[in-house]
Amino acid sequence: MNLEVTFDSAVYSMDAVKAACYKFVDRFSPDIEFDHGKIVCRLQFDDKLARSTAESYIENLKKEVLDQDLRLKLKTETEPIRNLILAHAFSKTGLIRDD
Amino acid sequence: MLKLGGNIDPLTQAGEYGDALFTITADPFLPKSIRNRFALLTEDSLDAPGYGVQLVTNNGGKDDEAPRPNVRIYRLPVHFNYLRPGDIVFIDNKRHFLRTLFRRESRHNSILLTEQCNHYCLMCSQPPKKTDDSYLLRRTSELIKMIPTDTRSIGFTGGEPTLYGEALIELIRQAKLQLPNTSIGLLTNGRRFGNKDFAARFAEVDHPDCMLGIPIYSDDPVRHDYVVQARGAFDETMRGILNLKRYGQKVEIRIVIHKQTINRIVNTCEFICRNLLFVDHVALMGLEITGFTRPNLDLLWIDPYEYRDALSEAMHVLNSYGMNASVYNHQLCVVNRDVERNYRKSISDWKNEYLEKCAPCTRKGECGGFFSSSKMYKHSAYITPFV
Amino acid sequence: MTEFHQIASYEPQSPKYQLLPFRLTELNDEKYVLTNIAGEYLIVSKDIVPRLVNHQLSTDDRAYIELRARHFLMDSATAIAPDLLAIKLRTRYERLANFTSLHMFVVTLRCEHSCQYCQVSRQSDDKRQFDMSLADADAALDLTFRSPAPYIKIEFQGGEPLLNRDLIRHIVCEAEQRKPAKQIEFVIATNLALIDATFLDFCYKHDIKISTSLDGPRDLHDRNRPRPGNDSYEKTINGIRQVRAALGKNKVSALMTTTEASLGRVKDIIDEYLAQEFKGIFLRPLSPYGFAIRTKSYMRYNTDRWLEFYKQGLEYIIQLNKQGIEFREFYASTILAKMLTSSDPGFVDLMSPSGIGIAAVVYNYDGYVYPSDESRMLAEMGDQHFRLGHVRQNSYNEIFLSPKLLKPIEESFAFSNPMCHDCAFEPYCGADPVFHWAMYKDYVGRKPESEFCRRNMAIFQHLIELMEGDLLVKQLFLRWANRC
Repeated sequence: MNLEVTFDSAVYSMDAVKAACYKFVDRFSPDIEFDHGKIVCRLQFDDKLARSTAESYIENLKKEVLDQDLRLKLKTETEPIRNLILAHAFSKTGLIRDD
Repeated sequence: MLKLGGNIDPLTQAGEYGDALFTITADPFLPKSIRNRFALLTEDSLDAPGYGVQLVTNNGGKDDEAPRPNVRIYRLPVHFNYLRPGDIVFIDNKRHFLRTLFRRESRHNSILLTEQCNHYCLMCSQPPKKTDDSYLLRRTSELIKMIPTDTRSIGFTGGEPTLYGEALIELIRQAKLQLPNTSIGLLTNGRRFGNKDFAARFAEVDHPDCMLGIPIYSDDPVRHDYVVQARGAFDETMRGILNLKRYGQKVEIRIVIHKQTINRIVNTCEFICRNLLFVDHVALMGLEITGFTRPNLDLLWIDPYEYRDALSEAMHVLNSYGMNASVYNHQLCVVNRDVERNYRKSISDWKNEYLEKCAPCTRKGECGGFFSSSKMYKHSAYITPFV
Repeated sequence: MTEFHQIASYEPQSPKYQLLPFRLTELNDEKYVLTNIAGEYLIVSKDIVPRLVNHQLSTDDRAYIELRARHFLMDSATAIAPDLLAIKLRTRYERLANFTSLHMFVVTLRCEHSCQYCQVSRQSDDKRQFDMSLADADAALDLTFRSPAPYIKIEFQGGEPLLNRDLIRHIVCEAEQRKPAKQIEFVIATNLALIDATFLDFCYKHDIKISTSLDGPRDLHDRNRPRPGNDSYEKTINGIRQVRAALGKNKVSALMTTTEASLGRVKDIIDEYLAQEFKGIFLRPLSPYGFAIRTKSYMRYNTDRWLEFYKQGLEYIIQLNKQGIEFREFYASTILAKMLTSSDPGFVDLMSPSGIGIAAVVYNYDGYVYPSDESRMLAEMGDQHFRLGHVRQNSYNEIFLSPKLLKPIEESFAFSNPMCHDCAFEPYCGADPVFHWAMYKDYVGRKPESEFCRRNMAIFQHLIELMEGDLLVKQLFLRWANRC
């Protein structure tokens, strides 16, 4: 069974869609394409799967894309401070030692 | 409550004007060479020249005391009856004023270094003043030379002692030299130590036993700033603690429990355990009804009985993380039993009292009792003697 | 007197805030779990997260205060968070770096038991074929003492190590003679059937601890662990008593192996541990090594059944604690330590980067070196993928810098794996390249299909939900976390 779901690329990034699809690779095989401002995901499900179940997976996929989108935003914004913290944590000086 | 300062009644006008510190003695036959450092405490005045002052307690009204040349004599009001040999007093000969600075028998000798402060805490027990009071620091330098070297511990308080900067560091150095066996408790808001160099210089003194008592009133920086009425205080205090620990200093975190801190007390203890597990002690303290607390009573008062479960939960957090922790300034009958392993009889002996209804209590000996101020103004409505 | 200011006047003057690095994962239909870079978690309702990330949250939101206090965001009122996060992160890794490294000496493969789930033991009288040689043992000790860890644990494994107790004596005495600037601890993993007073006296003199196997009540234990006379349980229980009498109560610990027969009987198993006066139990996952069928659905079925077993066991243990009986579950304790403290107990399965070869190393009876107990079992089953070298034929560097060790460690590092790197549970989880290799012939595994991922995710979520739902459980878990 093949089902299709599209995402507006003005709203969602390709990375977010891909990461979300990855999370469901145990439930469907995705085929992702970029088409005139739309990200089109053709999802192939096991033929024995009930259509309603497949549709519920798609609902979960949509939610996951939203999550992934937030994660990407978060990552972009916090990248510099994350590096700062890591540098600070593993530098030789300037930090508390317990001993 | 003991009255530590008060006017004294001059019986003679001899001697120098000015002020000085004296150790109390009852011995009229001390070697002449050292008498000037002592205040001779007797019932009636004696013909014992050379003492710094004579203090007489006889209130029989012998106003026709024979004037003795070259001896300053004061009559002490009864509220100074607690004075004992070995205690150290400050006497202002101009204003005829005596202040007890050190009591030999007390375990709670706390020395005020300044009344200036860069906090303006809602519950301040020693409301800050702006006037220059650096004489307090100079007086303390004198005092530590006189305190017996077998004294277990003394406390330095404010105001904010670190406002003295280098002079405070010098005082701690003097304390180390003059009183090498005496542990020091220094109450500070820690902000000055946010300056790494200052923390490093403080640590260089290498005092063998000096604990800095520093308040963190909330894990929410804004709430802490609000309680101490100083924007940015939280971050500076945190940095101060981090720097002090970086340089191996002992730090105690002190939290006064009241209506503005109780709601986040468990979060605050969790925060301390996650972020500051390396501090040496955490004290959760009951509110003293004095200073600013009185005008702010509605804002601050919550009956300890009402928060006893939150207190238990907070202590459970601290204990679970293996934090050395204590509950101060509470009465045994208003805390849950599980808090008792951390319960300390903490109220300074000079301001500790009990209620009338406490008389039959079988556990009075273990109980810290009340601040005199609490007894007078506000205390838990749930005080119940153990019988 | 000066006026006092309201709390509002201490709020940040600007509504702007800076996000701090964190990860998010769905906890249930209403909530997300957020974990900051130091591994502290916060539960928030779902609607908060998009508003948080899109900078629409204000100080009026109750969650804002929590997010700021737990270092998920900072604003103009406070900027101390990065310093504190860095310190916590550093503390975690420092403690991990100073953790005990475990050196397992397989002194013999011979065993008088014939347990169905055991992939390694041999029934044989041929000592030369299945016993570790003196020369190999000495060479393995050389490697052991080159470990950079300040604390070293030497564990004697088998087969049944007491069948080669002369070699144990030799290794213990030799290790003590070398007197390195390290702390050494000795443990013998034995079924206790062959323990006797003379050997216990040796253990007492050298402060050796005993780790034994106890699978549950008599019938289950004996069914799992057949031996001539069918008296394994009897022997174990007597052995535990003897050890306690000779060495002290806390010198013996027990491990259980979970088999299919265990699954319905978690309470019986726990009751047995209580009866034998143990202070806790490690409810271990079903070992994948005993299963012939490795189909996806079969594994999933087993994971679900095991999770049910685990949750039932945990619920029972919590109930016991509420009744005043102190008893712990060690797998939960390990995870809780990571969730609630800045310590990491250094449990090999839950380390990332993986602890194979670093936190643990196995010197097999034949002198070959493996980076974990599982990888030598894999080798005994025919897959020698993780064989790092030989104690006498290869140098320290050849063994511990072998691509066979470094490649799986590097590739499986969860920080950079797909799905792991944005998972809120990453700070609690592990890489376990050996498991994934055994199951999927790949160090990482595709996480949606990984039973390791499914099992641990379910446990993380479960532990958090238990804590968040019940103050007594939270308090209990806090104690477990700090005594790990």
